[in-house]
Amino acid sequence: MKQEVIVAENLVKKYVTKKRKGLLRGEKQVVEALRGVSFKIYRGEIVGLLGPNGAGKTTTVKIISTLLIPDSGDAWVMGHHVVREAKRVREKIGIMLTVEKGFYNKLTGRENLEYFAALYGLSGEERRRRVEYLLKLVGLEELGSSDRLFEEYSLGMKARLGFARALLRDPPVLLLDEPTLGLDPPSSRRIRELVKKLAHEEGKTILYTTHNMFEAEIVCDRILLINKGRIVAEGTPDELKNMIPRLKTINIVVKGDQRVGELIKSLGIEKYEAKPIDGLLSIRINIQKPEEILDPLIKNFVGNGYEIVSLKIEEPTLEDVFIYFAGKTSR
Amino acid sequence: MSRLSLFLNVLWAESYALFTEIFRRKHILIMMSLYPYMLLVFILIIGYSVGSRQVFIQRLGVAPEIFFLASGYLLMVVLGSSDDLLWRPLYDDWLGITPYLIISPVPRLYRFLAVPLPRLVIALITGLTSLLPLMIWYYGFYGLIESLAVIVMTLVATIVFVPFIMAVIGVIYTYGKEQWRVLNILRPLLLILLGVYYPRFLMPLGAYIASALVPPSHVVEAVQRLLIGRLDLTYSLMLFGAAIGLFIAYIPAGVYSISLWERNKLKHGVKTE
Ligand SMILES: Nc1ncnc2c1ncn2[C@@H]1O[C@H](COP(=O)(O)OP(=O)(O)OP(=O)(O)O)[C@@H](O)[C@H]1O
Ligand SMILES: [Mg+2]
Repeated sequence: MKQEVIVAENLVKKYVTKKRKGLLRGEKQVVEALRGVSFKIYRGEIVGLLGPNGAGKTTTVKIISTLLIPDSGDAWVMGHHVVREAKRVREKIGIMLTVEKGFYNKLTGRENLEYFAALYGLSGEERRRRVEYLLKLVGLEELGSSDRLFEEYSLGMKARLGFARALLRDPPVLLLDEPTLGLDPPSSRRIRELVKKLAHEEGKTILYTTHNMFEAEIVCDRILLINKGRIVAEGTPDELKNMIPRLKTINIVVKGDQRVGELIKSLGIEKYEAKPIDGLLSIRINIQKPEEILDPLIKNFVGNGYEIVSLKIEEPTLEDVFIYFAGKTSR
Repeated sequence: MSRLSLFLNVLWAESYALFTEIFRRKHILIMMSLYPYMLLVFILIIGYSVGSRQVFIQRLGVAPEIFFLASGYLLMVVLGSSDDLLWRPLYDDWLGITPYLIISPVPRLYRFLAVPLPRLVIALITGLTSLLPLMIWYYGFYGLIESLAVIVMTLVATIVFVPFIMAVIGVIYTYGKEQWRVLNILRPLLLILLGVYYPRFLMPLGAYIASALVPPSHVVEAVQRLLIGRLDLTYSLMLFGAAIGLFIAYIPAGVYSISLWERNKLKHGVKTE
């Protein structure tokens, strides 16, 4: 039986802000950040909350972290309600909310960790050993930066330190809001590898937000696609891709007869676009598995006296996925 | 985890953070230890230029430089610590630390008590190196006892202030929209109500009552009476009884006020960016 660790049911959150207009007039603005978000995350799973800016990722993470009270809806972490039993939830979670802030500038990385370790109830030898272990784990020790001031840290070092803090209490649940935003490849790789290890080897349950499709695909076991405050699709990376019909695009540019219709149709392709450009012909074919028709396609063109000028297979971008799902769920 | 170990942990954390930073930035340390002497020089210059020293001694029975240095010390320590407390939530917010504090298991009262305590160690050292030698020089053995009493009373004044400040923080940051600006009104107000430079018995009734509700004001009165030699045992017990009674009475109010403020934060979302 899969064990439910994080459960969200119909979360709704509106932000009301007053926009100053002149000296006295203020205009109320309501942003519907979440419009009914539900999901379940099981033990040992890495679930990616993937969405563009303003989709509601941070809002969702804050609610699950007990740092924001939803207008309606409920959420539980390991069976504890995030509003009514916030204290119990807080014992179970490690959080990382921003990469660039959240520590004392005038203390070193090690000192900062010691400070938070004490706040989280670790003392004496146990605290010292845990801090030491985490500095090694996230690679700050090998970078030689454990004892440098936080204000001198690069973004990558800050993120590593923030990740180490989330692990201080060795919590069973990790809530990470864009933990690799703006990091260089070594730092983001380190964090991604650790996330995978913690989930798959230690059974930690991890909610991981990102707006990076590539990252979501390589890190997450399952992805929740969020847009405009709604979960618009969910599944494993492969499942999600297969939900998008026009997955990849073959872009082939040829020289020769402009009437290519019959030739393409003979390959069983119904939908395509052909555009003449400077005496050449640019053809775009949207297809699930381009590798299956690539060989006959090329042979067909060459066999019929065409010259192939260029051939490109375009992977779908995050935008394609969003445009597809956003279109399907437009209000 | 026991409550005591929670408290000791947060006390350790605050002390560690404070002392590490102070020792790293030596100029803070130097400024802190020089402050009382600079204050003394300032007092002497003003004192000699304004009025007759003899008249002051005749009227109050204490040398003006002693009176003002002791008052200045008291004020510096009490207001310094309360300022630290008042700023702390804003500072934590600004650094983006608040969310990590909220999810920590530390009771808020413990943390607010732990913030000023390590500062009192520094206050103790400055007291022992400035007030103490000066008062021994002026009044000999009696000066030693009196200065130690002033130092201890100052530390007490600081601690009894904490729950009151917590209550104030909760209220002003929940209802005060433009957060830190509120402090510009609050700080001079507290300065007056403490009665350090404006003795309580001279206040109009309304101000007197308001002042009596601020716990350290009673300790301030005790210090002033001690300096001018008009403090008897019964009256000092009354003053300390009032200060400690108010300290205890404000604890639930302080804790409630902070929880109100936190709750309000959670409604709008704890700032992370
Ligand atoms: N405190 C706030 N007050 C007012 N509006 C807010 C507040 N926080 C978020 N919003 C708005 O709510 C919406 C959702 O914000 P949220 O931060 O959850 O998005 P996100 O998916 O994390 O985006 P990003 O990729 O930019 O981090 C946005 O339109 C945002 O402008
Ligand atoms: Mg965000």
